[in-house]
Amino acid sequence: MSDAIGTEALGKTYPGGVEAVADVTLSVRPGEIYGFLGPNGAGKTTTISMLTTLLRPTHGAAWVEGIDVTLRPEEVRRRIGLVFQRSTADETLTGRENLEVAAGLNGLSPRESRPRIREVLSRLDLTDAADRKASTYSGGMLRRLEIAAGIVHDPSILFLDEPTLGLDPQGRAGFWEYIRDLRGNHGVTIFLTTHYLEEADRLCDRLSILDHGKVLATGTPSALKETLARDAVVVRTSDPSRDLRPVLERLPGVLAVEAVPGDGATRVEVVRAESFVPVVVRACDAAGIEIASVATRKPSLDEVFLSMTGREYREESEGNHREFAAAFGSGRHGGR
Amino acid sequence: MYREFVTVLRREYLKWVRVPIWVASAFVVPVLYLVLFGQAFDLDRLFPAGASGSVYVSRALLGAPDYFSYFAVGMVAFVTLTASLYSGTGVLFDKQLGIHQRIVATPAPRSALFAGTLAFRAFSAAWPAFLAFGVALAFTGVPGLVGLSVRPSVSPLGVGEILLAEALLALMFTALFLSFGYVLDSNEAYFGITTLLNLPILFTSNALFPEATMPAWLQSVTAYNPASLAVNVMRENLFATRGYPYPPEVYLLGLLGWAAALVALALYLSARSLRVR
Ligand SMILES: Nc1ncnc2c1ncn2[C@@H]1O[C@H](COP(=O)(O)OP(=O)(O)OP(=O)(O)O)[C@@H](O)[C@H]1O
Ligand SMILES: [Mg+2]
Repeated sequence: MSDAIGTEALGKTYPGGVEAVADVTLSVRPGEIYGFLGPNGAGKTTTISMLTTLLRPTHGAAWVEGIDVTLRPEEVRRRIGLVFQRSTADETLTGRENLEVAAGLNGLSPRESRPRIREVLSRLDLTDAADRKASTYSGGMLRRLEIAAGIVHDPSILFLDEPTLGLDPQGRAGFWEYIRDLRGNHGVTIFLTTHYLEEADRLCDRLSILDHGKVLATGTPSALKETLARDAVVVRTSDPSRDLRPVLERLPGVLAVEAVPGDGATRVEVVRAESFVPVVVRACDAAGIEIASVATRKPSLDEVFLSMTGREYREESEGNHREFAAAFGSGRHGGR
Repeated sequence: MYREFVTVLRREYLKWVRVPIWVASAFVVPVLYLVLFGQAFDLDRLFPAGASGSVYVSRALLGAPDYFSYFAVGMVAFVTLTASLYSGTGVLFDKQLGIHQRIVATPAPRSALFAGTLAFRAFSAAWPAFLAFGVALAFTGVPGLVGLSVRPSVSPLGVGEILLAEALLALMFTALFLSFGYVLDSNEAYFGITTLLNLPILFTSNALFPEATMPAWLQSVTAYNPASLAVNVMRENLFATRGYPYPPEVYLLGLLGWAAALVALALYLSARSLRVR
């Protein structure tokens, strides 16, 4: 088994009958940044907990570097680093002391850990606060300390459960850079869960979309977008009451046409948005319709998610979300 | 194994010194008991010198020169009990704060995690007792205070037995309260149970009162109470004793049995709390 991480029909039903993870089969290659994308309660944390030996699967199996997580958990623990969704910092200790404890429990001597701790603190921008009690840290600093504690012992496989939750854009960008560096220069395999579509899109080599404990799709971000969502062209006329649908529906290459409600715009799904723009312009000219604007939209993971689950993605950063809802309207996904 | 053990010791130490109230109370509580309770309550003074009651008291004290000396040794056991009551809180808080999960995910040997916690907590329960002992001895030099007076010729073996008795007592109380930390999830339950156990353990021992003053049913409980066993080892070695049915080694053996049983229980419960479900 040459996968860094592999699972086979992995599942967990909690005592009391909640089936948090129903059927997860995946394989992560060595040196890959693999994303696990899903809404609240999808089963991301439960999956990570099983992969990191913190929870016993109720069905299926999982391996880390070929080692079965239930049969030889100690050996798995020796290879992994883990960043928890919830802060596990000891707030009575300083940031540095927290890392010393994490390193010591992973078997590092003070001589080995000292330079590592210095490096990790500096990479995560915590050097200045290193000798302050963690109870004085801001939310973002605690998050970065949590990441540091997962990385400090230089694991070959790193699991991160929503690592950038609560980080500002700068912190997030710094984190991405660090993760890419870990993978690029140290060959670390990275498995991360996220809520952020942008993060999944920009950081991950491959990702799986999870909902209700099941993997709905797996692939590279661009492959997912290509197979599951379509380009669109949004046309606005100077007369919003004018119905464009009869004109546009007849054009070649059109997959679907819908009015964007309350907006006077019309949205056309096509195979390639760029080459469709001149077609729209010519057709409107010929029909005597004056165009105010034409915009192209490339598929985003939001759309992938939507087409997979039939639900909009609930994301914390409301900005994307609204733009997306406005562009799509409720024609196809009414009532949400 | 060694590194992880030292890491746990160091973490426990750092957490302990960061809470000044714990450090302070470890110092202050023993002294308060000795000054307030020990000085005020003197069985001897209830009787005029030479009265028959006084003779009875001196016999009940089994060779201790006065009640304060008798009491001060009992205090050593009580201070150990008090200082060990919170041994399980660290484990309890770790579970609530998710730190426990981080520890479970490390490859640290489970025995090292347990041994480190037990060792530090037992040590922090033992030394306030030595402090109390030293303070009680020092009282002999303070005018106006009664002090602990011991036999001038305590043998090195006797000193060794006393130290061992204190170590075993600290170990067994610590293991007992650590066990509650491993089993329980709520603070209320933990503090409820420790409060419930604290005084019964004290009052079913001969730490404060001679067994001779107790009803027979209580005496039979007192004989097996670990605090009594430890205190017997100490008093037999420190005072020109008479009237103990057994030599100190027998009590020491009993104490060893308690410590072994409770450490084994705590070890089992620790392993259980670290097990993955
Ligand atoms: N200990 C537990 N006992 C019972 N049910 C649980 C337990 N832990 C989680 N669940 C349930 O399992 C499901 C999946 O939870 P999980 O924490 O894995 O989701 P998640 O994808 O990590 O969500 P989030 O994005 O909110 O962190 C949820 O419905 C949750 O309520
Ligand atoms: Mg989660």
